[in-house]
Amino acid sequence: MSAERLVSWRNRWFVWSVGVVIVLTVASLLIGFVWLPSAQKDMSSGSLWDMICRAAGAPTTWYQGPAALASRPATDVVLTPDFLQRVDATEIGRGATLAMQCVMCHGARGMSEAASPNLAGQYPDVVYKQLRDYRSGQRSNVVMQAMSQGLSDQDMRDLAAYYAFLPQANVVAHGATEAPQLVRVGDPMRNIAPCASCHGGIGRKVGSPWLEGAPAQYLQTQLQMFAAGTRRNDINGQMRNVARHMTPEEMLVVATYYSDQPALAGAQKLP
Amino acid sequence: MLHSKKLVLAHFWVAFSAFAIAILLGEWQMFVRSPLSHWIGNPELYYRSVTAHGTVMAYVFPTLIAMGFGYAITEISLGQRMVGRRWAWAAFWILVSGALMASAPVVAGRASVLYTFYPPMIGSVFYYLGVVLVVVGSWIWVALMSVNLWTWKKANPGKPVPLAMFGNVAGAYLWAWTAVGAASEILFLILPVALGFKTTIDAGLSRVLFSWTLHAIVYFWLMPTYIAFYTIVPRAIGGRLYSDTMGRVAFALFLVFSMPIGLHHLFADPQVGAGFKFIHAVFTAMVSIPTFLTVFTIVASVEIAARLRGGKGAFGWVKALPWDNPTMLAVAFSFIMLGFGGAGGLINMSMQMNETIHNTQWVTGHFHLIFGGAIVIMYFVIAYELWPQLTQCASMPHRLMRWQLWLWFIGMMVLTVPWHFVGLLGMPRRMAYYDYTHPDIQPQAWGVVASVIGGAILVASAFLFIWILARSHRAPKVTPVRYRFAAAVHEPVHVPVALNGFTLWVALMIGLTVTNYGVPIYQLVMNPMSSVPAVPIGGTR
Repeated sequence: MSAERLVSWRNRWFVWSVGVVIVLTVASLLIGFVWLPSAQKDMSSGSLWDMICRAAGAPTTWYQGPAALASRPATDVVLTPDFLQRVDATEIGRGATLAMQCVMCHGARGMSEAASPNLAGQYPDVVYKQLRDYRSGQRSNVVMQAMSQGLSDQDMRDLAAYYAFLPQANVVAHGATEAPQLVRVGDPMRNIAPCASCHGGIGRKVGSPWLEGAPAQYLQTQLQMFAAGTRRNDINGQMRNVARHMTPEEMLVVATYYSDQPALAGAQKLP
Repeated sequence: MLHSKKLVLAHFWVAFSAFAIAILLGEWQMFVRSPLSHWIGNPELYYRSVTAHGTVMAYVFPTLIAMGFGYAITEISLGQRMVGRRWAWAAFWILVSGALMASAPVVAGRASVLYTFYPPMIGSVFYYLGVVLVVVGSWIWVALMSVNLWTWKKANPGKPVPLAMFGNVAGAYLWAWTAVGAASEILFLILPVALGFKTTIDAGLSRVLFSWTLHAIVYFWLMPTYIAFYTIVPRAIGGRLYSDTMGRVAFALFLVFSMPIGLHHLFADPQVGAGFKFIHAVFTAMVSIPTFLTVFTIVASVEIAARLRGGKGAFGWVKALPWDNPTMLAVAFSFIMLGFGGAGGLINMSMQMNETIHNTQWVTGHFHLIFGGAIVIMYFVIAYELWPQLTQCASMPHRLMRWQLWLWFIGMMVLTVPWHFVGLLGMPRRMAYYDYTHPDIQPQAWGVVASVIGGAILVASAFLFIWILARSHRAPKVTPVRYRFAAAVHEPVHVPVALNGFTLWVALMIGLTVTNYGVPIYQLVMNPMSSVPAVPIGGTR
């Protein structure tokens, strides 16, 4: 028995098992990479090699769709969770000086008395991203686009660091209200994720602001703009997808709920 | 002769204790997202529980069973003391500490990433390190199985390797190679992010590497069950194994075809080419060959037992089977569940049909039916068979065992059939909340309630099982008769060299991995734009 060799043409087990596996592999390669793609219009254009590459998931040229799809991306900003997690006093100080330009609308200590968002204690990635989007024109607002033109990238980081450093707003709570259904659980059948899954409460996603104490009118306007597509700097269209499915009444309910809440940024407050 | 009783018992008891905790979590999950319960308010709690349930049931429980059973097989079938018993204990403690290390962050809500990891989600580094330790422990077992077989072969040149040991080592080699995918995912992609060296992760490459492990791991779980089919069942019901060769071929084919098929989990993945998805579908279909070989051989073996007991006729012999024997009952249940689950699996692996059920509760139903049903019910049989050897108890309570197996079968069917059904209605999986008041979801409500009831039956069965095992420790002691695995109708005298070792099959396994995974992995590794920002889970934000 020890004389029987495994790797040998005379070993039927070897010949058959290797042979069948090779035949099976080659046949399925031919079917999967040549025959099946040749039956599909979008797979079969170009040479045989183009077709094989496409079936392998590595097309020689990528999709060149209508110009509308290839238009500007929603934003050019890429954020990571550790963005501006460590800042020094100099940066905050520079930010405080730069913030002198912002007090007219956003308040002396980042607390707005107009219907502009409160910035005190806002996450740095939020402030930074919005400033970048204003400057590039990916978010439009007459005042903010003009204000952001003169800011360098470092200026924006400093401003973000300064506002993140400020103590959070002490908005008086208008009495405890139960969080609306949309905030707590969303509406899965309409593909509306709960607000709390990104804006705090259940979870927080990078780039999403905390909303407690924000002016109701501001929030409502933003939802309307997302729904209409006039604001489109949400990276994956997540806010546009949500807002499109919301009724005007729901926008009002959600906006009013958040503006009535005391600020608790970053805290894992359960709705 | 079983010498390492303590070693095997330690593996089984840790496995079954973890199983008992995880099954409670599973039932809790079924309950809180059913119409019977109020919304828990925080989905994180749900995902925390899912992570714990999955990690224990997929990594800790079956790995310990395979290891413990493997040690028992080594000593019983080879008739030699196990080589490297100290290493085996070291592996055990590494595995246990890994499991504990992984559970701590899960319990604390720092790693609710589900057991399939799902990058770009990143949990606590200790979770991943714990899983790595579990895998490292199991690799020591792989090495021990290999060394023991080699030692035996040296002492017995030219003799056929006993079938049980052949299957056992096939399972070990399968696991060694299949774990490489997830291990590379953790070591090269996840850990650098979890340790804070990087903030982005290649989620597409992670998915492909995980798919390398994800499907073949199922066949690693299946191996002890198949070993039980071939080498325990025929003897336990008073018959003989129809064909020893058929068993070897089935184990060898599992080794070859388990690996190059994992991409069928990624049919909806835009980063994998359609051609490779097709090839993986073809090879997934090939797995049906060892499965059908096994079904045929075991039914033939069972028929032999029935005819020896006086069974007559084309189908009349079924009545002559020893239905009061728990093993007989279990193998019948296992085959029924394997049949339904396998039929569902054919739908999952077909690209177009998969579209209708992809990521729905159908899939959850499918793998619970196959793993929790067909596979785990045979784990019970393995424990019942070995328990008199391990605890030296005089007898096992057959009536209670039958109750336990019936409950497990009924519970699993009541759990998974409605689960498949709500999946067909479009119910997505991995969701913590469903609004059953919505008219579109309302038709799914009864199915979910039925599954909760099925789950409760399973919990009852699991605890009955634990109780049966525990009470045997206190039963009167006897010296057990020498354990033996089933004999074949024609005992192997001369086995072809290909079926007495693994060189050919391991070579084919690795070769097919290269042809089927080489390009997709190379492509994603070379693609500079495929990383995305990581999403930290738990912790302060």
